[in-house]
Amino acid sequence: MKNKLMMLVVTLTVLASPIFAQEANNAGAADANRRAAAYIAMGIAAGLCGLGQGRATASAAEAMARNPGAVAAIRVALILGLVLIESLALYTLVITFIAR
Amino acid sequence: MHELWITNLFNRALSGPANAVLDGVHFPAQDHANPWTDWMVCEVVVVLFIVVLFALLRSRLSVDKPGKLQHVMELTYEFVHASAEEVVGHDGPRYVAFFGTLFIFILLMNVLGLVPGFESPTAYTMVPLGLAVVTFFFYHGTGLRANGAGYFKQFLGPMLALAPLMIPIEIISHFARPLSLTIRLYANMFAGEKVYLTFLMLTKLLVPVVFIGLHLFVAFLQAYIFMLLAMVYVGGAVSHEH
Repeated sequence: MKNKLMMLVVTLTVLASPIFAQEANNAGAADANRRAAAYIAMGIAAGLCGLGQGRATASAAEAMARNPGAVAAIRVALILGLVLIESLALYTLVITFIAR
Repeated sequence: MHELWITNLFNRALSGPANAVLDGVHFPAQDHANPWTDWMVCEVVVVLFIVVLFALLRSRLSVDKPGKLQHVMELTYEFVHASAEEVVGHDGPRYVAFFGTLFIFILLMNVLGLVPGFESPTAYTMVPLGLAVVTFFFYHGTGLRANGAGYFKQFLGPMLALAPLMIPIEIISHFARPLSLTIRLYANMFAGEKVYLTFLMLTKLLVPVVFIGLHLFVAFLQAYIFMLLAMVYVGGAVSHEH
């Protein structure tokens, strides 16, 4: 359980690292403030996404422990929930690239 | 922009037919000498691969001595069939062809980017958009076919008095679905490539391999999720029969 939590924390931290990709793109952005705002927005989105996914995973793990017979259904709900929360952080990432 | 070797091949061999098709639909290529784009060529490669794979499977089908390919394809079919039955309900397995096609096509497109010399077509906005639009028309079409004109009653909400409020909300949420499908698939694949390239720049040795592994996992997951969400939408459209 602790290993899985560490793995999840590392994975989520790494998934938030697209912010590094911002600094690699020096192709003449119009305004430094826009980029700064985009970086901060991405950080906030990634952090809140991490919180949401943590709660989802915690509830799913607890439910699976309480009711081992329903593991398959809970796993489907968990994956669906995680991906929907992830997509909110991804929308922020896309807007970051638009704001360059 | 740097072209892939296979795009170069297509442009040299097939630029005539490509220009003919594009001009025929009044959408001329931006560069008449090279009408094939990277993502189009890679999509065609995936389609050809799938056709060859299934032709091979078909010729080797056997009941007593199934080979490895047949086992893998049977597993995939069972997986899609069971998911369809669970998510869509009793009518789910009617649409297994569509869901299975979505799953296999998106999975192979995502994974093609890991092969050197090719790129993931899903890392360009147009390809996930096309898939999402097809899914949108598919689930509305199946809803209409299952429920007839009564399909539109689900837009009115639980009570008729709430209809003026519910209709705009339902319309917006229905249009947000292909948008979110597109952005989810596109951003996952695009960001996966960017993260891998960034880490390749930062630490030139072993660490980028971890990111290829992550990208592979995300490729599987995103293909599964696209299929699952398509099933959820079809289930929502079809379910108002009883």
